[in-house]
Amino acid sequence: MVVPSDLWCNQNGYMQTMEVNGDVVTYPDYKKALMENADLLLVISKINELMAERGFPLKNLESSLKSMDFTESESAMLTSHVGSSVAESPIDRLKRTAKADIWMQLTWTLNQTGPKRSLTFNLQGLDAYTNVQIAGASGTSAPTFSAELPVLLEEAVLQHLDNFNSQLQSHFDRLFEYGREVSVMIRAWDTLEYGLETEYDGMELTEIIENWMADHAVGGRYNLVDMSENFMMFEQVMIPLFNEQDRALDARTWLRELQKHLRNQYEIDAKLMTRGLGFAQLIIGEK
Amino acid sequence: MTVKMKIFVCLGILFLFIPETFARKNKQDKDTFQWRYEIEPTVGQGKQGSCIIKVWTYAKKIDKAVAQAQKNAVHGIIFKGYAASTDGTRLPGQKPLVTDYETELENVAYFDEFFKDGGRYMRFVSLVNNGIPNSDDLIKVGKEYKVGIVVVVLKDALRKELENAGIVRALNAGF
Repeated sequence: MVVPSDLWCNQNGYMQTMEVNGDVVTYPDYKKALMENADLLLVISKINELMAERGFPLKNLESSLKSMDFTESESAMLTSHVGSSVAESPIDRLKRTAKADIWMQLTWTLNQTGPKRSLTFNLQGLDAYTNVQIAGASGTSAPTFSAELPVLLEEAVLQHLDNFNSQLQSHFDRLFEYGREVSVMIRAWDTLEYGLETEYDGMELTEIIENWMADHAVGGRYNLVDMSENFMMFEQVMIPLFNEQDRALDARTWLRELQKHLRNQYEIDAKLMTRGLGFAQLIIGEK
Repeated sequence: MTVKMKIFVCLGILFLFIPETFARKNKQDKDTFQWRYEIEPTVGQGKQGSCIIKVWTYAKKIDKAVAQAQKNAVHGIIFKGYAASTDGTRLPGQKPLVTDYETELENVAYFDEFFKDGGRYMRFVSLVNNGIPNSDDLIKVGKEYKVGIVVVVLKDALRKELENAGIVRALNAGF
């Protein structure tokens, strides 16, 4: 999905504020940008058209925003029975609703030198799961007296998209070989007497969870970056692209198997929460 | 005729055919497959999905360079790519369609057929200005000429061809 970058939105006054856990946070206002900026619509449309021609149709930002509006009331808040909630930004919500694997973030600046104008164009491909940049194309056009902004934009897209796609292809090749990277957080509710050190069948929960991770991550690859009796933070967890039923997996659907495993094997309830596509957390002890 | 003589005659006949069968037919083809050409972007308006490039080809005769330029252009777009312009026109470079060196070696038969004289590569390239080089683009280098010919390569169609042949993976492959 192609979106304008935060920088472009900020420079052009398309920002919104939202209160998250008492802090006022600023986010790009894509809806306003799409309604007021014809150039943005043109660039998105051009990139969508070229990518569709290359057999890789993209999710359309405008359609995804509309679809998100419909489901807003259902997914705006995720709470447990005891009132715990997880804060999710509008962008995280859009990522979860649109389920686009790659975000193509777009920035352009019109440079003016005397009567001549040139365009600096920057297209970044971000992995929606990890926010890591996996492709990019940028450059500044030759100064011109006559070309209008839409023409300069169109030229920039045409010139840069193939190099961008070449890097995208390399990323896909890596995905198929090593799996998709996600982050996973495991927490414990207060109801667990010893937190994650509570023992079941002679094993601490931490050990049970690590064993499950090693068995289910592609190539057993994960990185336990931090842990205590209350939480375990896993990063660079490589999950398969598809499950046994050939359905696409994200962090939530993958971690749901751990939730099921704990319930079936040890009769432990756990609440599964998610943020975007690439982060999921399991809070063990109750639902 | 003694046995020894018979062997010599057979070997002689064999050696006569070896160059025809296994070696590339002419010097220009050898140059192409040994990457002896240069590509640079050039200013121009092509249709969507195409790129306009100048190919510098080496040959003893100018007409041979013109004939080989199209083959070099397609070969370059597939395997070599080209760097961004350095003359102030700020034209971006292009990565090759095939990035894995092994791919060429694994598909020798396909590329031999594709790049044979009058082969399928011709569908993806056309000459600009009938292949007549500018006077600036004709340089005498030792006993041969280095000739810069402007051509248009239909790179989107070329990519599709390679995808269909299973040489390049499509962007949506596996999804």
